[in-house]
Amino acid sequence: MNASKALEKTLVVSPERKLEADADLAIVRRVQAGDVAAFDVLIGKYRERVLGIVYNMTSNREDAADLTQDAFIKAFQSIQRFQGQASFFTWLYRIAVNSTLSHLRKNRLRSFFSLESIREEDPVSREVIDALTDKSGAGRDTFVRELQEKLNDAMQKLSINHRTVVTLFEIDGLSHQEIADVVGCSVGTVRSRLHYAKQLLQAELQSYLPK
Amino acid sequence: MNRDNPRKITVEDLIRLKRAERPPAEFWAQFESELRSKQLAAIVVKRPWWDGASRVLAVLYRHPLPLGAAAALALTWIGVHQMGQSASVVTLPASMAVAPSHPVALMAVQAPASSIGEQQARRSSVAAASLERAATATPVVAADSPHVTQVPASVSVANNEGTVHSPFAEGFSVTLADFHQTAPAMPERAVFSSDREFEASVTPLSSSRLQESDPLARMDPSAERRARLLAPALPAYASSNAHSASTTWTKERADNDRIYESMDLYSSNDRSMVGFRF
Repeated sequence: MNASKALEKTLVVSPERKLEADADLAIVRRVQAGDVAAFDVLIGKYRERVLGIVYNMTSNREDAADLTQDAFIKAFQSIQRFQGQASFFTWLYRIAVNSTLSHLRKNRLRSFFSLESIREEDPVSREVIDALTDKSGAGRDTFVRELQEKLNDAMQKLSINHRTVVTLFEIDGLSHQEIADVVGCSVGTVRSRLHYAKQLLQAELQSYLPK
Repeated sequence: MNRDNPRKITVEDLIRLKRAERPPAEFWAQFESELRSKQLAAIVVKRPWWDGASRVLAVLYRHPLPLGAAAALALTWIGVHQMGQSASVVTLPASMAVAPSHPVALMAVQAPASSIGEQQARRSSVAAASLERAATATPVVAADSPHVTQVPASVSVANNEGTVHSPFAEGFSVTLADFHQTAPAMPERAVFSSDREFEASVTPLSSSRLQESDPLARMDPSAERRARLLAPALPAYASSNAHSASTTWTKERADNDRIYESMDLYSSNDRSMVGFRF
């Protein structure tokens, strides 16, 4: 992939995302017209992605569950105000991210981390884990657990804003433009935060990276 | 760490491991039930007032032009409506109009004069006109002030029933009615040889009633002087009995010679002013 294609990927909304946004808008119009049950479709579609973002920002399962539920409730209560100028998922993400940032700022000193198990049926994850360890069985599980804790620590050492950008870009796969829309800053700021965050993470995870 | 594996692991690969972190299936069942109960609570719980206000603001933001035009139209209509109401309240009925018909007041009008000769010629015609007016005018005259306006005898409270009164007209009617109620016994004679004789003939008002009805009574001058000054202004003076007497008195006082003697001519720059002393 050359540089221009990489830039396009980070800036331009893909056609799949466009189709997805149109489908979401049709469902939102149904909810606005009074079909409350149609909102369940949107919950089912986005709950895992929203939970993933919130979980990786908070590193706590219970907080993530509460914040995700609150984000859906807020979206449901404000659905009449949704105009369709942005896509629904951008709007929903913005609600979730803002709620999470508010929660993190309020509970800056409180940190209870919980770990979810990594599903190794994901080929990318298995490949990375295989590359990092030659162990199997209990030893492998311990290594993965240790790696997860180290990753969590490294993420928590980032500032809230940097953590948000890394989560949205590396974990959820949003483009720079989409992140800028969600977070409410410029694309340049997103890139700057991303670059700085990766430098910090690299320094923290140096022991897991081959020389 | 597997050293034999040729794949180079980057920091991005490590972060993407977190993508694979997923909660167990039972987590979603609990999540679903909690979300459902929160959703129901959100529907049932009364929303705060600012939520409604924010919705109204959102509507305003969405349709600024039609709402602005409607608001301007409504304000215009209210303004026109209010102006119409206030105009109907302030308008005095024709019968309540205060006419400056007293000769003194009429003569105090400033008029440009080109020469003294013209002024002299005008003096005689004005005197004649004032004589006519004095004969026909109702003599409800307030003392000898040159700025005094005169209230015609046709003004009465009963005449104004069914008309819209302004606050000023209401107050005016009440004052006149008050004067009617407190009418003193006026002298039968119209001409007195001296002030003392006139004062002796006037039956004084009871002091308490006078205090209630007459604002001037609250002033300091002595009762004697007050009675002398106020007597010609009292409405009873314009009653049927007093009418002929007052007319005779006015005619007497408006005699040609007296008018001529009482006439004063003032002039300044290109204006001249004629005044009469009664």
